[in-house]
Amino acid sequence: MTTAPLSRRGFLAGLGGLGVAGILGACATGSDDTSGTASSTLTLQSSLSDADPKAALTKVVEGYTKNKVTLNTIAIETFRAQLPTYLNSGNPPDVLTWYAGSVARDYASKGFLLDVSDLWTGSGPCAGFSPALKELSTADGKQIFVPTNYYWWGVFYRKSAFQEWGVQVPTTWDEFIQVCKTIKSKGVAPISMGTGSTPWVASGWFDYLDLRINGAEFHRDLLAGKHPFDGPEVKAVMDHYRQLVEYIDPKGRSYSWQDAVTPLNSKKAGMYLIGAFITSAVPADGVDDLDFFRVPIIDPSVPVAEEAPTDGYFASAKSKNVSGAKDLLAYLAAPQSQQQFIQLSKSSNLPTSQQVDTSTFSPLVQKGIKLLNDSKAITQFFNRDSSDELQTTADTALTKFLDRPGDVNKILTEWQANAKKVFGQ
Amino acid sequence: MTAATLTRPASEQTAETPANRKRRRWVFHAVMAPLTLLWVAPMIFVLVLAFRSFDDIAQNGTAAWPSSFTFQGFKTALGTGAMGRALWISIQVTVPAVLLSLLLASWAAYALSRYAVPGRRIILLTMLAGNLLPPQILLIPVSRVMESLGIYDTLVALVAIHVGFGLGFYTFVLHGFMRSIPSELTEAARIDGAGPVQIYARIIMPLCRPSLAALGALATTWIFNDLIWAITVLRTEAKLPVTAALLNLQGGYVSNWNVVAAASVVAAIPTAIVFFAFQRHFVSGLLMGSTK
Repeated sequence: MTTAPLSRRGFLAGLGGLGVAGILGACATGSDDTSGTASSTLTLQSSLSDADPKAALTKVVEGYTKNKVTLNTIAIETFRAQLPTYLNSGNPPDVLTWYAGSVARDYASKGFLLDVSDLWTGSGPCAGFSPALKELSTADGKQIFVPTNYYWWGVFYRKSAFQEWGVQVPTTWDEFIQVCKTIKSKGVAPISMGTGSTPWVASGWFDYLDLRINGAEFHRDLLAGKHPFDGPEVKAVMDHYRQLVEYIDPKGRSYSWQDAVTPLNSKKAGMYLIGAFITSAVPADGVDDLDFFRVPIIDPSVPVAEEAPTDGYFASAKSKNVSGAKDLLAYLAAPQSQQQFIQLSKSSNLPTSQQVDTSTFSPLVQKGIKLLNDSKAITQFFNRDSSDELQTTADTALTKFLDRPGDVNKILTEWQANAKKVFGQ
Repeated sequence: MTAATLTRPASEQTAETPANRKRRRWVFHAVMAPLTLLWVAPMIFVLVLAFRSFDDIAQNGTAAWPSSFTFQGFKTALGTGAMGRALWISIQVTVPAVLLSLLLASWAAYALSRYAVPGRRIILLTMLAGNLLPPQILLIPVSRVMESLGIYDTLVALVAIHVGFGLGFYTFVLHGFMRSIPSELTEAARIDGAGPVQIYARIIMPLCRPSLAALGALATTWIFNDLIWAITVLRTEAKLPVTAALLNLQGGYVSNWNVVAAASVVAAIPTAIVFFAFQRHFVSGLLMGSTK
């Protein structure tokens, strides 16, 4: 009798152990064929989950033969949330796609990013990039980012629609308001803006009005916490924003930015301030009819600034294969890779390398290049010039403002309080 | 007043004519039919969306009357969307996780319900309490644990997580069910010379089949539909299960709603099959606690 419980337990434990080992073992052998070779294979973690850019990057990576590369594409919002985990893990991906500017610097300050300064000197692939790009990719005197393409923002409209309504492209603020009035009188919403599931779109107008009224330098300082959001400068910005509110399609409050393109396509809305990526949300036959103009000048004495968010790659500081990661970065930054990527992704992005032949790009893209070349200063975008945390405060404030423009003073005070918390961290 | 209300039920009972009953049924249908329509509308909406073309959706919006019919959405979802591979991964995760968690839970429930394990009430309540914790607050600790175990970014990690998180609830349900099996049955078996393992395998398990089937169906849907753990512990695209692959179809800039809708339809098929196959057990299994 005394041996019975012992043997029972022993038997159960043995059975349990066998079962677990067997089943887990079966899983392990079924799934580790890629992780087993991870040390010699480079991992490229990509957030480009849109169909065309994804296919383009796959093609570009296929052309890289020096090392084996595994391309992992993860949906952008998941990628954004998981990025700190990726970089902080014991065996991080070697190369990752992300944004230049404050966001990259933020990770660099935590020691997550590989110093790639040698790619920027001598005959390195980034040596020929513009000084502005170099400055953008620098943190604490070291280059930690490899920019490969960027895009512009503008007020997009349909040429045929403007003809129908008999309006001309405005260049000053008063002309712009006049155009809004005319379009509204035709029973069409003058401005489309999808701030439902993508509230950051509302920051587009905020950024531009601030750039036009207070200039790029003030804007950067504001986003760095050096000026208050409830000061007279931002109040002036919001006064102009308030003039726009009555012309913004109220339905946009429940749309994502993509959904808000549909009214523009079907001529139920007139204009849309958005990035050049809009071309991927327009049906094939509508792209030729699409055009854009520079956000109108408000104060001619302020140097013209434009938003040109820059995308590219950085490498993880803990990469097991540093020379391989740098080699892959160099390949991705090379002019032919840039050109191949931009053309295959059917995007309207611009190459960072000056050696890329842009003469074959569409007229719209040519116009975009000219727009940026004519600008005195370049900014990224609200979140890229600050942080994702500060973007959240902007989303809250601007969403409230669009609902109740009359409460602007209260909203700005709240915004400043929230921003203080972000900077206080 | 009181007299009137008291007499009414009596008069109503006598007036329960077939015509009256028919009218009541008519009212029932008149109310329930629109509710049913409302209930299935989103599914029909997704199904219609899956067969529309991208240009049609971009031009007219997602809510417009369809003006195109194409299988392109399904083609893209199964082709570049790699829904086929993701489905296979999901099966590789779901099947071992369900089998293993039910096996372990049945052992635990058997021991806790048939033997005087010291502190079994506390063990059971602790297991259940663990289930009340929202998984969101455990995301980072769990991913760190997986990292230190060296199984981060493997399907083993995902299976282990699902087994671990499901175990408490399954044990609790099975424990309740096993306790309702009369002890005379097991005593009789013991008199006949059956050991604990034999009693477990030949008496308890066959009797638990309905609850195991119900839990199996529940566990399959839960694990199959899980997204949060998949995107927490996996980062290699080729290892993503169907839910995470579905999320990947939605880009930051463009959303090909027809592809997303088609992929959702594909992803819903396995759980629908499991649900219909176990439907009977599912309903009786959900009632299990209430009859006890």
